[in-house]
Amino acid sequence: MPFSTITTPEAKPVANYKMATRMDGDRLLYIAGQVAWDAGGNIVGKGDVRAQARQVFENLRGVLQAAGGDLSSLMKITTYITRIENFPAVAEARSAVFQGELPASTLIVVKSLFHPDFLIEVEGVASV
Amino acid sequence: MDRREILAERPVEKGRGFMPGVTVNPSRVLFTAGLTGRDAAGNLVAGGMAPQAHRTFERLQAILGHAGAGFDAVVKQLVYVTDIDAYNATGRAERAKFFGTSRPASTGLVVRRLADPAMLIEVELVVDLPGSAQGKPLLEKFNAEKHPGDFHQGVIVNGGRLLYLAGQVANNPDGSVAGVGDWRRQAEKIYENIGHVLRAAGATPASVVKETTWVLEIDGWRQHGSPARRAFYKGDHPASTLVEIPGLARPEFLVEIEVIAAVA
Repeated sequence: MPFSTITTPEAKPVANYKMATRMDGDRLLYIAGQVAWDAGGNIVGKGDVRAQARQVFENLRGVLQAAGGDLSSLMKITTYITRIENFPAVAEARSAVFQGELPASTLIVVKSLFHPDFLIEVEGVASV
Repeated sequence: MDRREILAERPVEKGRGFMPGVTVNPSRVLFTAGLTGRDAAGNLVAGGMAPQAHRTFERLQAILGHAGAGFDAVVKQLVYVTDIDAYNATGRAERAKFFGTSRPASTGLVVRRLADPAMLIEVELVVDLPGSAQGKPLLEKFNAEKHPGDFHQGVIVNGGRLLYLAGQVANNPDGSVAGVGDWRRQAEKIYENIGHVLRAAGATPASVVKETTWVLEIDGWRQHGSPARRAFYKGDHPASTLVEIPGLARPEFLVEIEVIAAVA
């Protein structure tokens, strides 16, 4: 893996994610914030945060694969949601996708995303 | 350099002027602060979204120019707006005047408030700079114009390795929250945690190149949180962005800070 994970006993993550990652060479991939669009630009799972989260992580995986990487290439993700009440469903969908430790991670509740139907957006930085 | 655009032909992003992903072989990377529609005297330009957006991208252009690049070198943009309808009506077109056909990876967020309550837009960029890093200092922190803020408008990383930290919150090693309801204590704890992580990676506060501070209330942060920030950076500030949002992962968290640093 072209990056290292940084750990320290004094500052620990509050959940199942990495505290910090350091790039150790190779290419840096910046991924746009992914929303629940299908390939045709239609919104998947209107009003259904689980369905949206599944689509978002599928789209994220698609960009990683097209860049020659996969989910394990991610150094950092930021998850933006519009309602904190949706976080448990998002966390569940996310854990199903990552099957282990998440990359370094940030969760933010925003006022809204760029379309009122979007409930979740995830962006990432990867080393590929 | 050696930019590769990922899934460039996908129609959804194409129509909106951005790219699903961009990879580069990072030799020299520029991180900008979040820039806004302030004029040379530091006042927000009058007239709402269009003039603010125009001024924001004009200032970013100056920062890019200072670093020897243009909008075609932008890898990632993050656009924060407080009014999405105004952005769609007039802000988007101003952005297009500067980016032309260049398409970075992009994230757009509607937030509750920016530094000034009248601010409608703030934009930050990550840029892949031309030229060799050889013989240059690891970090070049600069301002393209004078400003009174505790941040640099741009930070260039020459040939270093980037370090991405998770968003840091005021948690103790046992998982409990430090300083419930207490801005000052949460700020101190967060910078203490950031310091620990940086040290573990062989970095220092001066190694931080970009900082994003997410707060539930800008006034509370400015009054009680920012002293801990000043004590941490001791004048050697990163490029930074401050944003007010309605919530974080736990209701006790008042602030979350994420930083990107660079080590040799």
